[in-house]
Amino acid sequence: MTTFVVVGAGEAGGTAAATLREEGFDGDLILIGAEPMPPYERPPLSKEYLRGESEHVYVRPPSFYEDHEIDARFGTRAERVNVTDSVVELEGGERIAFDQVVVATGSRNRRPRIEGLEMPGVYDLRFAPDADAIKEAAKNGSKAVMVGMGFIGAEVTASLRHLGLEATVIEATSKPMERVLGPALGGAIEALHRDHGVEMIFNDGAERFEGDGRFEAMVTREGRRIEGDFAVVGVGVEPVTDVAGDGLPVDNGILVDGSLRTSAPNVWAIGDVARHDHPVFGPIRVEHFDNAMKMGEQVAKNMLGAEEAFDDAHWFWSDQYDANIQMAGFATEWDDMVVRGSIDDLSFSAFLLKDGQLLSTFSMNRKFDVRRSMPLIQARLHPDRDLLADPEFDLRQLRPPKEEPAA
Amino acid sequence: MAEWVKVGSAGEVPDGEVLAYTAGDRQIAIANVEGDLHAFDDLCTHQQCSLAEGELDGTTIECACHGSMFDVTTGEAIQGPAVDPVGVYQVAEEDGELRVRVEEE
Repeated sequence: MTTFVVVGAGEAGGTAAATLREEGFDGDLILIGAEPMPPYERPPLSKEYLRGESEHVYVRPPSFYEDHEIDARFGTRAERVNVTDSVVELEGGERIAFDQVVVATGSRNRRPRIEGLEMPGVYDLRFAPDADAIKEAAKNGSKAVMVGMGFIGAEVTASLRHLGLEATVIEATSKPMERVLGPALGGAIEALHRDHGVEMIFNDGAERFEGDGRFEAMVTREGRRIEGDFAVVGVGVEPVTDVAGDGLPVDNGILVDGSLRTSAPNVWAIGDVARHDHPVFGPIRVEHFDNAMKMGEQVAKNMLGAEEAFDDAHWFWSDQYDANIQMAGFATEWDDMVVRGSIDDLSFSAFLLKDGQLLSTFSMNRKFDVRRSMPLIQARLHPDRDLLADPEFDLRQLRPPKEEPAA
Repeated sequence: MAEWVKVGSAGEVPDGEVLAYTAGDRQIAIANVEGDLHAFDDLCTHQQCSLAEGELDGTTIECACHGSMFDVTTGEAIQGPAVDPVGVYQVAEEDGELRVRVEEE
């Protein structure tokens, strides 16, 4: 009997295992996850779940795995994917031989060197119990101190404001998400949060957390002292590549080719941990829900012989207050930005171009442009600036004709 | 008990488009797929965005907020983040009216 193993049971791993069955794989299928819960969605943890508006959303119903004869080992940590012997080594010594394996171990929060980081009342958010802890702290507190204004920091801040808490944010750069969005778009995020009464301090960072056995205040590098009932640290993530050992090439993630395969022919990697060779963007590691889900589906098909390139334009959303924020594509640098709508009114789309090629689209409260721009990004188009800037112009008109498969 | 409710005029949903209607206290979207009408709950089961504001591609409607996809013929959620299906309704054009068949509240 053929054995497939999925290491990691988050969005990506759960989707991969489920898709293998849904695509007709009838061999032995083992899903190993360090978390005790069946695969669940993380986006609500900073939003609806944190605000107490929703329960956990599972990738598949919890009974799915047993119903589909998936040997689910939740609460089990894999230590190494031994490429030489084609064996997954589990914590405690068990060894599982595989014909093919998918690594979907995700990412972990960066733990910056801040004195007092381990103190009670200082939280970060990645897993369901983290959200529960912050929710509980919010119930008992009235003021939160946030470290970092990336997407997680911004979403948690918005949720806490929604729950009626005061929030002060400290951010090392001069605008929220400045490294990803640049100053103009980061400024829109800043304006959104300022409109909702968030106090934001830029160009400063946390030096230490103080308190008598529990968090009471943060002292910054510039010498500010900001008091609060609890703190939440959100300063980015790093890929969990521990299982790669020395058998798989790792460089900011496990390196995979366009079809999500590592250098070992029977080993694949997907989700946050995978740095895949994208046909438009080059090697890129993506930390978003949609990517985890789509890679999970694609790797399952490729394991069963499809051999298709993964060329998704990459898309994510972020809900903050009543603003719908979306972004697609990937641009580390751009030399032109075309805006349709109004940044000042927080209702706009921004198109990021380099040498005329559309690389990325960001929108706030304009729901159509980002998803409609994805085929344009994938096709490496050089769209007309006037058409991009025209709020009435439907981007679907620029789509290249779908290629008919060769007969 | 289900009954037919007038929501608009016959022929007003153009081919390839989706429009939102109110039937009692329900919000219902009606899509025209190459001349065939399909009626379904307008509010996405994920975060209650209007699906009529989404993108229709063949018989698939894609939510404009978070990208969930539904089959407009069955209501099935075919891609997340939405998990639950949307309700579907019978729809007809008769006597110049656009009508859907809904359960009485």
